[in-house]
Amino acid sequence: MSNEKTQNEQIILDKLFESFSNIEGSVRRERRIELKVSKDHVLSVLLYAKEQLSFFHLSHISCVDWLEDNQFELIYILWSHETQMQLFVKILIDREKPVAPNIDYIWRHANTYEREIREMYGIEFKGLVGEQEFILEDWEGMPPMRRDFDTKEYAEETFFDRPGREDAKDVREEIIERSREELPDFAKKYSRD
Amino acid sequence: MSFFDIKGLLSPFTALQQLGKKPHTAKFPFEELETADRYRGLHFNDLDACIGCGNCSTICMNGAIDMINLEGIEGKDGDSGLRPRVDNGRCCWCALCVEVCPTGSLNLTKDYIYVSDDANSFLWTPGVSNPDGGENLSFTSDEETSLTEYSRIPMRELEGSERIKSFAEVVLGYSEEEARNEARRCISCGICSEVCPEHMHIPEYINAIAKGEDEDAIRIIYDNNPLPDMCGKVCTRRCEDVCAINHRGDAVAIRWLKRYATETAKTADIVHEIVNPEIKEANGFTVGIVGAGPSGLTAAYYLALKGYDVTIYEAKSKAGGMTYYGIPKYRFPEDSLDKQIDYMVKIGVKIKYNQRVGVDISFNDIYTNYDAVFVGIGFEVPWTLGMNGEDLKGSLQAVNYLRDINDGQTVDVGDKVCVIGGGNVAIDAARVARRFGAEVTILYRRRVQDMPADWEEIEGAEDEGVHILAQGIPLEALGDENGKIRAVSYALAEMVADDKGGRPKPVQIEGSETELEITTLIGAIGQEADYSFLSDEYKDKLEINRGRIVATELGQTSLEKVFAGGDAVNKTADAISAIADGYRAVKGIEAFLNKTK
Repeated sequence: MSNEKTQNEQIILDKLFESFSNIEGSVRRERRIELKVSKDHVLSVLLYAKEQLSFFHLSHISCVDWLEDNQFELIYILWSHETQMQLFVKILIDREKPVAPNIDYIWRHANTYEREIREMYGIEFKGLVGEQEFILEDWEGMPPMRRDFDTKEYAEETFFDRPGREDAKDVREEIIERSREELPDFAKKYSRD
Repeated sequence: MSFFDIKGLLSPFTALQQLGKKPHTAKFPFEELETADRYRGLHFNDLDACIGCGNCSTICMNGAIDMINLEGIEGKDGDSGLRPRVDNGRCCWCALCVEVCPTGSLNLTKDYIYVSDDANSFLWTPGVSNPDGGENLSFTSDEETSLTEYSRIPMRELEGSERIKSFAEVVLGYSEEEARNEARRCISCGICSEVCPEHMHIPEYINAIAKGEDEDAIRIIYDNNPLPDMCGKVCTRRCEDVCAINHRGDAVAIRWLKRYATETAKTADIVHEIVNPEIKEANGFTVGIVGAGPSGLTAAYYLALKGYDVTIYEAKSKAGGMTYYGIPKYRFPEDSLDKQIDYMVKIGVKIKYNQRVGVDISFNDIYTNYDAVFVGIGFEVPWTLGMNGEDLKGSLQAVNYLRDINDGQTVDVGDKVCVIGGGNVAIDAARVARRFGAEVTILYRRRVQDMPADWEEIEGAEDEGVHILAQGIPLEALGDENGKIRAVSYALAEMVADDKGGRPKPVQIEGSETELEITTLIGAIGQEADYSFLSDEYKDKLEINRGRIVATELGQTSLEKVFAGGDAVNKTADAISAIADGYRAVKGIEAFLNKTK
């Protein structure tokens, strides 16, 4: 996308392309630039964006669990007050051995985001200070924001049912009973849980 | 710092300069702040709009939502009768339940204060606990933001101009990817299976398709429907009318998904291999079946699996009944039917063709030679229009016309055809005549939206250039000097509301009489059964009421060993009801014969 409205975004993107040969990127819309970067280059790109392109502010670090691709995606969201633009820097990391570079010496508050991501997704940030300290206490199981974490199962194992809930019905069973449908056993595994 | 720090002494007084300024925070007198636009407070459920699909309960990752019976709410077609109850002690107000609610009945309100010293009172039935909550909604869902997929994967079809050149199948079927995506829209509530006359296991086979297990889908389908190719193409699919998604979007394409699954097994051999039904050892009982329509075939299939020796007597040279002779081939191709019949024969059903009971073999022979009899004769005889000139040359009945065309005969209808009627048979006859190059007009007494035909059929006919003349009352057929039809006269009608609350009635507009020049008139206003195969002795004994055989729920007639089903018994007159009749009659016959053991 390149038109008059996103001219300034394009200029910044071109500067990034000039400095780094191994990144992909695009102008997503007005005031939003997106970059895909390898894990090895993310530190240089972030430092360059901060020092040379006025993206002084780290707004957030977000994480996506691409379970099917066996990858995590980290998204560093940067903001430039000067140009009023957002820069998304995305990296993919291996889901089996999830290790990412620590950036809390570039932005001090990144430390909080990284501790949260470590706890919720199980991603290790090399050199993170105080990494054990966050919300969950003595959590040894699978990190709870991973997509293969079964929240419902956890809730059922951890909490008891309040008295008075015994009269709950299953919708499918109710309909089967009322219409006298005869559902064969081999089909039951496809019924709703 | 100097000893006398004037600045330190004076600076507290600088606060005085704020006196008299408008405060930025607290308001006096106290005003309650408005909650945020999409604030997620306590639940509210519109109990009348809710259909009890239970999607909220399934999505809740905290296991906070139960589906329960409420006083005053009864289950009915399209409604499980259950309603959600929330454990507010477990709820985390993530509002996923709202975002997946297909009807939009469940919402969150702006209310968030709930105080009680009894933790067990946290069980909250939205809509009952807060009957006025609907006035205070905050977090709601609509078709745009909802996580439910409201849009159906469109079915690819031949273009209208292409269709009228041949009898090629109009609907092209889903590709694998399309079928998987469509199947994933299903929320597996099962509300559909209750309205299916046969109670097919719809959520299960759709879920199997969604998971890529087409063979399991086929096995689940064949569990209680031996004619799924037929249903996958021409079923009246009442299931889709009540689909939970249908309330705010397009119903899941249940019929097309069944069609997809059955078409993955291309031949009778493959079906046999996949379904691999258990056939019980012969039990010594014999059952004779009159008519190889959907009800007779269904009864025959499940009886044969149970070890009965089954013989079907079919008057015509092909099985399928109305689904072969009545439905045009562009909707239900011959090879799809052949595949099903081949499979039936493979598992041991015997079909005797060209054996019209009452002509080639007497009903008495069947009655005495078999331990039990099933009668599935259908509605074969068309009602006549009851107007002058109906017996002119060039005046036909739609079922006869369709039967002859499907039988491979040529019927010359000329180039201007008028079809009278508004049901599927009328539309079929019109679209067939269109394929032979005629200009076709459908004359229907009421409005288009009153037509009993499927809307897809009506649209299909219009796409193909069939002209629908609604609110037209046929008056008489006019002939030329050779006794050949030349025109039909009709009058326009206005719709007048019925005082008794029935549907509006067409009333002729004076002076609107018009003539329409035609070469052929085709009547399609309904059919009835032909009971001439019964000798007087049986006619007396077999109870028939208003043209329909009287039968119990399991199909038993007033003649103890005679069971019946299909159009000649039920009032819904569609293939799936006939299949359901056949399936239930199997149980009736089994119970009856076990008693005689």
